[in-house]
Order: sequence, then C-alpha cells, then structure tokens
Amino acid sequence: MSTKKLTLLAMFATISLAIYAAESAIPPLVPLPGVKLGLANVVTLILLRHFSLRDAAIVLSARIGLSALLFGQALSLLYSLAGGVLSLLVMALVMKLLCKRMVFLTGAMGGLAHNMAQLITALAVTSTPGVLAYLPFLTLSGVLTGAFTGFCAQAAGRYLMPHLPPKT
Amino acid sequence: MHTEKTQKRAAVAISGFLFTICLCSLLFLLLPSGKPAAYIADIYQDGNLIMSIPLEDIPESRSFTVESAGGGTNRIEIRSGSIGILSADCPDKLCVKQGFIKDSRLPITCLPNKLVIRLRPAPDSSGEPQEPDIITY
Repeated sequence: MSTKKLTLLAMFATISLAIYAAESAIPPLVPLPGVKLGLANVVTLILLRHFSLRDAAIVLSARIGLSALLFGQALSLLYSLAGGVLSLLVMALVMKLLCKRMVFLTGAMGGLAHNMAQLITALAVTSTPGVLAYLPFLTLSGVLTGAFTGFCAQAAGRYLMPHLPPKT
Repeated sequence: MHTEKTQKRAAVAISGFLFTICLCSLLFLLLPSGKPAAYIADIYQDGNLIMSIPLEDIPESRSFTVESAGGGTNRIEIRSGSIGILSADCPDKLCVKQGFIKDSRLPITCLPNKLVIRLRPAPDSSGEPQEPDIITY
C-alpha cells in the first residue's frame, strides 16, 4: 500500500470516527436501542462506491476498533462488529448488482442488514426471544436511515471525489 | 459485466423487497395486538358489592334498574364489553354523563345514590389474574 493510499484511508477513518462521535452526542430521537441515523456509514458507502471493498473493510474495522476503544464497552464492540461486517458484505453485493447506481438502495439494504445483525446478536447475547419485539421498529428504521445515508453518500461523493488526488 | 437490463431488474427486485418488509413492519405496528381483555363489572352500592357481571359473551345489550336505600334509582345498561348508566333520578346526572366504560381505568360513580361501577380484568383460562391495564407512579 502506497503512502498516499495509507494517508487517504487514515483520513477517511478519521472522518468516519468524527462523524460517529458527533452522532453519539445527539440525543436519541426515538427511545429505542439500535435506532439511530448511522451517518458514519456514509464514509463506508463512499469507499465502496469509489474505491474497493478492501479499502472499505479496512476503514470500517479501524473505525469500529477505535470507537470501541474510545467510547464503548466490550459488548458494544460485538454489536458494532456484527452490524458492520454484515452490512458491508450486503452493501458490496448490492452495489455490484446495481452497477454503483442508486446508492440509496444500497444504503437501505445496508441499514437493514446492520439492524438485523444487531438484533440477532442481541438475541444471542441475552437469549431472550422478547427482543424480537423490536423487529418491526428496527426494520423500518434500518431501511429509512439507510436510504438517507445513501443519499448523503451520493451527494458527498459527487463533491468530494473531484478534490481527491487522481488514482492512488 | 452486468447489462443494463439485469441492473434494472435488480433495482426493481430490491425496491420491491424493501417496500414489502417496510409495509409488513408498518402493518404489524399499526394493527392492534391480541384480543381485547375480558372484564367483569362489579356494581357496589353503599360500599357493598351487589352484582358481578362478566362483560364477555353478551349477545345483545340489556338494562336493569338499581334502587338505592334512599329511594334513588339508576338504570344500568350492559353491552358486550362495556357498561354504563342510561338514566338516573339524581339532580346532576354525572353518572350518565360518564358514559360507557370499557376498561378499568375510571369507575362510574353516582354519589347521590352511593353507586359505583368498576371493571376488573376477568381471570383468564388458566385462572391467573391478568396484568393491570396501566400503572402510574
């Protein structure tokens, strides 16, 4: 990996971590665990769209690791990891199917996958089937917030990409 | 690698999938869950329980008159799932204005005739008393 690439990915990881920190400072609008905007996903989507799955995975794992170290507990690492990995894989697949167009659909699928993975993790950790009561809420919020971050990523990518150094 | 056609088809399929699960979630959230709880109406006169009527399985509404020790009367009507006072000879008719009640939150009270109608959740088939409707602190 070239120094240029390393610096660029480090910058993306920093942006993603900053967005994540800023978002956790916003008081939750809906008093339900797991319902949040997930704006840090914008960075993952931009990387998937304009770079590669490998780059997106590197930045995502850096962000998850650092955020768990800085703000989280050990358990929140597990949730982030489950949600992050599944949503990354699903988004990579959908992005490929759609030929990188209609990023909001990719975002919606990613948000959905993220929330489903977290719900399954919660089911495994607490082993109470009662958490399934959150399923409809998490489905809706995953799709809606995911579509929103998808739109954000599309717009941000359009303005950001011309300013990046050519092909690293 | 992918033609325009397969991409369009994938977009339609994904949109359809997302739309369907969102619709299912919305329906699930908006539709009332479970059947309404069954209640038993307890009618108290001067603090004494004079009648207990289960409000389930009442095919057609019926009414009857309760007379108090002081001579006042209240005409009570029972419907399927609710109970209320149709008419009373008290001056303010507050008990009539309270209408028909369907749950245990507010009892109907007629102070002049010392009549109280209160609903309590019927024990379910297992004989266990049911959960309270609402708890306030």
